[in-house]
Amino acid sequence: MKRLLTEARLVLIGIPVAIWTLLPIYHMFLFSISTKEEAFSGELWPAHPTLRNFGIVFREQNYFLNHFWRQFANSLLIAVAVGAITLVVAAGAAFSISRLRTRGGRLVLNCALFTYFIPAAFLAVPMYKAMGTYGLLNTQWALILAMVTIASPYAIWVLKQASDKLPWELDEAARIDGASPLQLFRLVYLPLIAPSLVAVGTYALLLAWNEYLYAFLLLSNDKDITLPVALGHFLSADDSPWELLMTTGLIYALPPAAIYYAFKRYMVTGLTAGAVKS
Amino acid sequence: MAPVSFNNVAKTFGSTEVIRGISFDIRDGEFMVLVGPSGCGKSTLLRMLAGLEEITAGTIAIDGRVVNHVDSKDRDIAMVFQSYALYPHMSVRDNMGFSLRLRRAERSEIDARVMRAARILNLEPYLDRYPRELSGGQRQRVAMGRAIVRDPKVFLFDEPLSNLDAKLRVQMRSEIKALHQRLKTTTVYVTHDQIEAMTMADRIVVMHDGAIEQIGTPLELYDRPDNLFVAQFIGSPAMNVVRGTLRRTGGAAHVETADGVRWPAGSGGVDGQGVAYGVRPDHLELVGGGEPAVPGEIVVVEPTGSETELVVRIGDAQIIVETHGRTTLQPGDTVGFAIDPANVHLFDQASGARLAP
Repeated sequence: MKRLLTEARLVLIGIPVAIWTLLPIYHMFLFSISTKEEAFSGELWPAHPTLRNFGIVFREQNYFLNHFWRQFANSLLIAVAVGAITLVVAAGAAFSISRLRTRGGRLVLNCALFTYFIPAAFLAVPMYKAMGTYGLLNTQWALILAMVTIASPYAIWVLKQASDKLPWELDEAARIDGASPLQLFRLVYLPLIAPSLVAVGTYALLLAWNEYLYAFLLLSNDKDITLPVALGHFLSADDSPWELLMTTGLIYALPPAAIYYAFKRYMVTGLTAGAVKS
Repeated sequence: MAPVSFNNVAKTFGSTEVIRGISFDIRDGEFMVLVGPSGCGKSTLLRMLAGLEEITAGTIAIDGRVVNHVDSKDRDIAMVFQSYALYPHMSVRDNMGFSLRLRRAERSEIDARVMRAARILNLEPYLDRYPRELSGGQRQRVAMGRAIVRDPKVFLFDEPLSNLDAKLRVQMRSEIKALHQRLKTTTVYVTHDQIEAMTMADRIVVMHDGAIEQIGTPLELYDRPDNLFVAQFIGSPAMNVVRGTLRRTGGAAHVETADGVRWPAGSGGVDGQGVAYGVRPDHLELVGGGEPAVPGEIVVVEPTGSETELVVRIGDAQIIVETHGRTTLQPGDTVGFAIDPANVHLFDQASGARLAP
C-alpha cells in the first residue's frame, strides 16, 4: 500500500515533468510535418501531415538553407575536433595532476575551475580579442580552441576524480614491471578510465555542437558557420519560414540524441564518478 | 638470485622518523620475513627496497650494487602486493606477460615464459580470463605468476595473504613456500602475522618502532628471544609474562610476584633485581597438588581437539597453558604446575633485555 502511494506520487510528479519537457519538442515536431499554412493553426495534429519540409531542407531548396549540408558538416567537424582535443588535454592534465602528482597541479586545476565563476558570455569579448590577436578570426580553429577552453576545466575535473579512484598499487606494479610514465598512461591509465573518457568526450562534443554565441561571434562567412548560427539567420527576415526552421532544428537535435542514447551507460557512471566517495 | 644488504638505512617523512638506521644482510636465496606490528616500518623498508620510497639515509644494495638511485624497473625485482594490483583490463596472460612486453621481448618468448609460470602455479585453465572472473586465491597466484615470469633477482611480498580467508591463507602459505624451495630466489616477505613468519621464513627480522628487535631463525626467536618484545610477539598463544623480583639463594632461584607466588627460575640476573618472568604456554606442566608446583585455579577450558588451552589464575595473573590431548578439568578446579627452570625466560624489568643465559 505504501509502495503504491509512493509510486502514485512519483507518477504524479513524473507526468507533468515529462509533458513540460516534451511539449516544446512535440511542438517542433508538429511544425516540421506541417505545411506553412497549417503550422499556426493551433491543432494538436495537422490535417495533412507531410514530409515535404524535410525534402526542402535536405535538397537545400530555400535561401536560408543554401549551405545546409556544408554547415551541418562544419558543426560535425568542429564538435568532433572539440571532443577529441578536449580529451587529449583533459586526460593528460588529469593524469599528471592525479597520478604523477605534478607540483602545482592542484593549483592549475583550481585556476581552471575558477573560470567557471565568470559567465561564458563575459569571456566572449576577450576571447574574440585573443583570437583576433592570433589571427584566427573567421577560421574554425577559433571556435574549436574557444570551445576546448570552455570544456576543459570541467573535463579535467571529472577525469581527475575518476583517476583518484584508481588504486595506487596499479601504478606501482606498472613501475616495477618497467613502465615509463608514458607507457603507464597509454597501457594502464587510459584503458581504466575509458568510461569517463567517453562521458567527457561526449560532453565536450555536445557542448560544441550546441554552441551558438561563440560560433556567432567567431565565424562570419556563410560557408564556415555552424548550423545553430545559420538557424539564427532565419530570424533576420520578417517572414521567416518557421516550418523549415523547426525541421532543421529537429534534424540538428537528432545526432546528440543518438550519441546520448548510445553512450547513456557511460554518461551516468562517468559524470557521477567522483561525485560521492564510494 | 642475489644477496641484499641494508646499511644504516633510515627514512623520515617530514619530521617523523619511520626507519631508524637499520642494517642487516639477506643471503643469496634466503627467504627473509620482516614481521612486526602495524606501523613498525616493515612495509616502508620493503618499499624502499622496491624503489617505491626514497631512501633518506644509508644504502641498500642488491647483488652488491647500491640501488639508492636506481629506478624500480632497473633493480631487477618483482613485487606481489596485498591488493594483488592486477591490471583489471588485461587477461591473466597479459597481466603475467606485461613486464616482458614492456621490455620488448619476442612474442614467442613471452608466451613460453607465461606458460611456464602458469604451469608452476596451476593457472593454465585461467590464462584467458580477466582478474574480476577469478577468486581471491587465483588472483593471488596470478600476482605471483607476474613476479615469476620476470625471473627477478629478488621477490618482494607485501602482506600478500592478508586479503584471503583463513583456510586459503594456510594453503597459499605452503604454496609460496613450495615455490621458493623450487625457484630458490631471494625473497623478502612482509607480514604482521607471526605465524606466517614462523612457518615460512628461513630467517625472521622482528621490527618495532622503525628498529630491529632481533634477527634469527624462527626457532631461535622462539627459544631465545633477545628481549621482552620479541618474546611476546613470537609464539601463539603468546608467552605468559609476570613481573616480580628475582630471589637467588644458593643454587636455586625464583621470582616472587607481588601476590606472593614463587615462580621457579634458572640462571641469569642478580638477587633482588626487578624482572619480567616469561614462560611459554606449552612449558607449564600439569602435576599433582604439592610442592614444588605452582598452584592455580582453572578459569576457562578451551578444547581445540588435538590440544586443550587452559586459562588459569595463578595468584593475580591470568596464565595460558597448553596441554596436549584432552582433559577432564573443569573451571574452578585447583591444579598445580611444574615449570622447568631451563624453559624460563628472564628479562630486565626496565629495559626488557634478556638476562643470561
